Amino acid sequence: MRQLFTAITALLLTTSLPSAYAESDTAQSVTPEAHADMKHGDMAHDHASHDHQSAGHDHESANSAAASITRTQEISDALEQGGNPVVVDVLGVVCDFCAVAMNKVFGKRDEVAAVYVDLDKKTLNLVVSKGAALTDKDIEQLAMKAGYRIAAIRRDSQAMGG
Amino acid sequence: MTARGATLGLAVACLLLCNAAVARPVSYTGGWTLIETSNRAATAGLVHYSASYNFSLGFRHERQRDDDVALTAIQPTFLAKRWFGKTYQGNLYFTGGIGTASDRSNGHQSSDTATFVGVMADWETRTVFVSYEARFLEQRTLGNHSMHTARFGWAPYEGDTGELHTWLMLEIDHRDHFEEETAVTPLLRFFKGPALFEVGYNLTDPSPLANFTYRF
Repeated sequence: MRQLFTAITALLLTTSLPSAYAESDTAQSVTPEAHADMKHGDMAHDHASHDHQSAGHDHESANSAAASITRTQEISDALEQGGNPVVVDVLGVVCDFCAVAMNKVFGKRDEVAAVYVDLDKKTLNLVVSKGAALTDKDIEQLAMKAGYRIAAIRRDSQAMGG
Repeated sequence: MTARGATLGLAVACLLLCNAAVARPVSYTGGWTLIETSNRAATAGLVHYSASYNFSLGFRHERQRDDDVALTAIQPTFLAKRWFGKTYQGNLYFTGGIGTASDRSNGHQSSDTATFVGVMADWETRTVFVSYEARFLEQRTLGNHSMHTARFGWAPYEGDTGELHTWLMLEIDHRDHFEEETAVTPLLRFFKGPALFEVGYNLTDPSPLANFTYRF
């Protein structure tokens, strides 16, 4: 019985730790050293300040279960016009009011060609207009204006599920 | 704790629990919200503007049916804390207000200053909802009221973005100035995009409930 309990406990810890990390209700910051050991799906971080090719963290395994962009007609049209896809994992998205808030806040930005909040995937799906820029910091601040917090940001091929 | 401290604590607690709106009394930065509530005690309208994601300022008008008093007030609301998770959201709000209460009963009219404080806390996933709110209202010569409300809700399915969301809810309210102090109201909540509508019926103190919220 004790062995069974130990095995179940170990299984629960193994499966729950990543989500517990993402569910922290405080903004997380990491040192460059710690960041090198992280996976992209773990939390929001500053993509602009490090080299994605040499950081040494595992993109593929982290993104294997990450949600890709949700295609609505508006999203597809914006992608066809050369826009850049961005998928943002958002914490606390539980109802349509959450979607309305983010649609309103992000939709007002000129850089955003299309926006869609997917309640099932708990993602904010953006297409940034061709030639425009929307940094991770911008996205984080806009999400905060809407009243929400981001957990991870994926761009380009990662956002497309590649 | 001193008596003054206890009083202050009670006032803050009441403020937190005070007559906050049925759905998210603070919106996104720059957002407007229209809220109508009608239950066994009163019919009220609140329009508020969210200056930030954690503060809104609103104008409230409320008619208390039992003693025919009309309350008009400015109502600020603070989002004190929001808990985020992958599958849940929890909120703690404090609200208050100051304005005028007018007695419209028996063909005469008198007015007095009215103040209220309140608190609201909620926790929800896409299928489970629990909330608590309370309000303490002081209308000087026109009477003081306190109210506590708890809600439990369950959604039989998870609606996706823009779809119709349906909730089955049970509301229990306690109002110390009513003959039936504690009452139970089953209700249905319908939620689609920026609009929320609730309809129910108070079984203890027979009367309808109808609430509407629109965010724009």
